[in-house]
Amino acid sequence: MKISYHWLKDYCDHSLSVNELSEGLTNAGLVVDASTPLGDDFCLDVEVTSNRPDCLGILGIAREVSVIVRDKLLIPGVEYPTNTENIESETTVVNEEKELCPRYTARIIKGITIGPSPEWLQKRLRVLGLRPVNNVVDITNYVLMESGQPLHAFDFDKLEGKRIIVRRAANGETLEAIDGTKCTFTSDVLVIADTKRPVAIAGIMGGKGTEVTETTKNIFLESAFFEPRNVRRSSRKLGIKSDSSFRFERHVDPECVDWASRRAAKMIQEIAGGQILEGAIDLNSIQLKETHVTLRTPKLTSLLGIHLEKNEMRDILERLCFTIISEEDDRLEVCVPSFRGDVYREIDLIEEIARIHGYESIPATSNIGVKLNPENRFDSVVEKVKSLLYGMGYNEVITDSIVDNKQDLHTGLWTDMNGIRITNPIRHDQDQLRKTIILNLLKVKKHNQNHGTEKTSIYELSKIYLGKENGAPPDERVCLSILCEDGFLPLKGVIEVILHRLNINLMLAPHPFQSDLFNPGKSAKLQLGGKIFGYVGEVSGELMHNYDFRSTPCIAELDFELLVNMATLENSYHKTSSFPTIVRDLAVIADEAITWAEIKGSIDTLKMDYLEEIEFFDLYRSKQIGQGKKSIAFRLIFRANDRTLRNDEVDVCQDEILKTLENSLNIRLRS
Amino acid sequence: MMQERLVALRSRAKDDLAKAKTLNEIEYVRVHYLGRKGAIKEIMKAIPSLPPEEKSMMGKMANQLKLEISDEVEGAKKRFSPSSDSSTDKTPRLKNNAQDAKGSFDLSLPGKRQPYGHIHPITQTINEIKSIFSKLGFAVEYGPELEQEYYNFDALNVPPDHPSREDFDTFYLDNKLLLRSQTSTVQIRTMKKRRPPIRMIAPGKVYRPDTVDARHASMFHQIEGLLVDEGVSFQDLKYALTSFSKIYFGQDIKMRFRPSFFPFTEPSAEVDISCSICNAKGCRVCSHSGWVEVLGAGMVDPNVFEAVGYDAEKYTGFAFGMGVERLTMLRYGIDDIRLFFENDLRFLSQF
Ligand SMILES: [Zn+2]
Repeated sequence: MKISYHWLKDYCDHSLSVNELSEGLTNAGLVVDASTPLGDDFCLDVEVTSNRPDCLGILGIAREVSVIVRDKLLIPGVEYPTNTENIESETTVVNEEKELCPRYTARIIKGITIGPSPEWLQKRLRVLGLRPVNNVVDITNYVLMESGQPLHAFDFDKLEGKRIIVRRAANGETLEAIDGTKCTFTSDVLVIADTKRPVAIAGIMGGKGTEVTETTKNIFLESAFFEPRNVRRSSRKLGIKSDSSFRFERHVDPECVDWASRRAAKMIQEIAGGQILEGAIDLNSIQLKETHVTLRTPKLTSLLGIHLEKNEMRDILERLCFTIISEEDDRLEVCVPSFRGDVYREIDLIEEIARIHGYESIPATSNIGVKLNPENRFDSVVEKVKSLLYGMGYNEVITDSIVDNKQDLHTGLWTDMNGIRITNPIRHDQDQLRKTIILNLLKVKKHNQNHGTEKTSIYELSKIYLGKENGAPPDERVCLSILCEDGFLPLKGVIEVILHRLNINLMLAPHPFQSDLFNPGKSAKLQLGGKIFGYVGEVSGELMHNYDFRSTPCIAELDFELLVNMATLENSYHKTSSFPTIVRDLAVIADEAITWAEIKGSIDTLKMDYLEEIEFFDLYRSKQIGQGKKSIAFRLIFRANDRTLRNDEVDVCQDEILKTLENSLNIRLRS
Repeated sequence: MMQERLVALRSRAKDDLAKAKTLNEIEYVRVHYLGRKGAIKEIMKAIPSLPPEEKSMMGKMANQLKLEISDEVEGAKKRFSPSSDSSTDKTPRLKNNAQDAKGSFDLSLPGKRQPYGHIHPITQTINEIKSIFSKLGFAVEYGPELEQEYYNFDALNVPPDHPSREDFDTFYLDNKLLLRSQTSTVQIRTMKKRRPPIRMIAPGKVYRPDTVDARHASMFHQIEGLLVDEGVSFQDLKYALTSFSKIYFGQDIKMRFRPSFFPFTEPSAEVDISCSICNAKGCRVCSHSGWVEVLGAGMVDPNVFEAVGYDAEKYTGFAFGMGVERLTMLRYGIDDIRLFFENDLRFLSQF
């Protein structure tokens, strides 16, 4: 809301400089965003919070200034001489929508002379960024800016039937607004109509056909209270915003409706000549109830943590135009003025006193002190995993949860259900919540490739969103998705290291998995402890082509919550042996179908005491070995905790291992 | 048995040699396999105890392997010899090592850097704020992003016709839920779950249908904080937020608490700090005011306590909220919020 520094002084003759005024208003809750010198005046841009529509007029702001400087508020008089002719003999107003228009007032001024408004008035409007039009229009704008109450002047002679009907628009009715917008209405829009057609969009803008022009002689002056929500919806729907709609949306003061009408009529008569008809139309269905609130002074003291005398509290409230109804030792009962609809509870009074007294005068001391709280388990696991990935050269990324609906082409990871949809997306092709992070990681790789970074080792740890059947609450699942540029096994290694770091000693069980995200030969669904843990695979040729990748990334997406549940955060210690190891390297020939997991599993079933570790180190195929066969080399490490092992003991173990492999998997030693 | 050990040994030795990158490493491999206590010597030691029919064959095989490995070692050493034809040598690192052999190692060559990753700046900011508040006893809480209107609005004392509920300010979903537009929802969920005293902070993603530009993103991060106990006052709020700001932004900053409005707090405040970019002299970042807004806060509104079933006469508390992207942008002078979600590694690796 823009105000003029000099204009403000009409209502409160303070001696504050522009800077002092800005600071004072800001400290009272009306932030002055900027002050711009304009000629000999200044335009102050005041940020008015949505609870304070009373400050959407310069008078309202002057009221705050008068409280700050402890001076009087000067409200202009609105008495004027009238014609003997009564308004009721000239026109009638019918209000069909009392809900949407709880109060409608009208005055008629006859015989005016349209012309430019006086220089002082034009100048004030210009400071607020308004373009002067003619004396009548300028005055309605002037009073709007002064009081916060929007007004509209119709050329009375252009109103068909010389009557006004406040009604809903008929579907398809049209109007050209003053700003040139051609509107077609639906029945939820409230219009001001004459006997034939709409002449204004209620609370938003007048129509071109009835606007005041150079030839206008007689004025129909409207001042009303329109229901905020309807004005807001219609304004959005029609795409028209105005100084009027801005204020009606935020709730004008119902008491001020008539005052502003009188004020404007009086100014028109004084500046544009003519005579105001006696009386006014005032269709008012607002039943104002006085709001009484009791303030307990000890409550204020304990909530703010400061001690204020009751006199100080009373003084602040009275300067804010609250009326003290009764007063006891430790309480004040006050009546709230009509323009302060935001105040109706004790806490609201406490806030008024706090902000005028000044937040700065409340000390920042406290005895809340420190307090210990247990570590959050989820955060601890996140911390461990992120620091591992960090050390392994992976970069954390954060990508949008809202994605395009192409993800449904690549489903089948966690769910077969379609993605959860946003009903009011910003862009109609970006209306789904992601069901996987994988596609986002591919986009990040693509972006980096386009900007000259070839190797993109990245991961994201955050949610995917899975819909459930039959209206069950959706599943927001935290996933860890990793994009690795080093190949399938290095990525699998990263996952294994994470499991190890979290002391999860279960074997990763890969199962073949088909998805067009992945290369069919190199992708797996991973299970951990019998539960679905995630997916890992080399990106499919189709996606490689779509993204135009120059290197083949592998991607894993893991259920992070499963990790959190299975993790053991506390490490356990076991004594390390001080005796030497005996190492045996073996190369065996196996059928192609035999997996490493089978070989290792088979050795593990022996539960050999001295076998400390089994390390895979080579896989190799050749003509020599033969079709359908492969050579697998691995190392066995033997060690005892209590003595040095002998070679012949290890030979026995090795024999047993080879026998088991031969019997269960038909594996023989390579020679 | 011995035969298999020899086969495995051969394959391993070749592998080790292939991996060796310096003369030193090759020498190490040589000693390991061919040395006085090397792997082949070990095997040979066992030969005399073999049955006679195997003895000679094994002896032959072991000798053959010894020669084979020693040839391989010599071959590998040649790769480093200065006389090797450098035009066919595609590995410049090896050439440098050649100078090493002559005793003229260039100590000024760049070190071989191990790659390391980066934590996203948004995560870093959240972690830092969590750790500051953790010292004051604020525990971390999380809540769903797909929320009910009740938690996002009703319980937070947002009136039924409030503009923030309209679909230009909140994303609605096809399952009767919405994407939370503020992390204040977690206040309500925490208070419904537990009785006072409460000290919590809730970091997380929030969503608003703003058209994306340098200052707006449709997804961003907030951190909500809440303290509820008996006898909590506005003084405590000022203390907690002053302590936080001085640790996060620096001891020298000036602070300003000014009245504001939020539906779920009363009295409400906005907290400004002196602009560090222009030293409070006025610049574009602070709109020439010398102040930048960093926090919204206030005493918990009695209506909120009523919604969660707390006695507002007995308990009081304060709540605060901050935008993570905004704080990070202020801290580093980043002028475009989109950089956080573009994930250009040249950007991420600066943090
Ligand atoms: Zn600045």
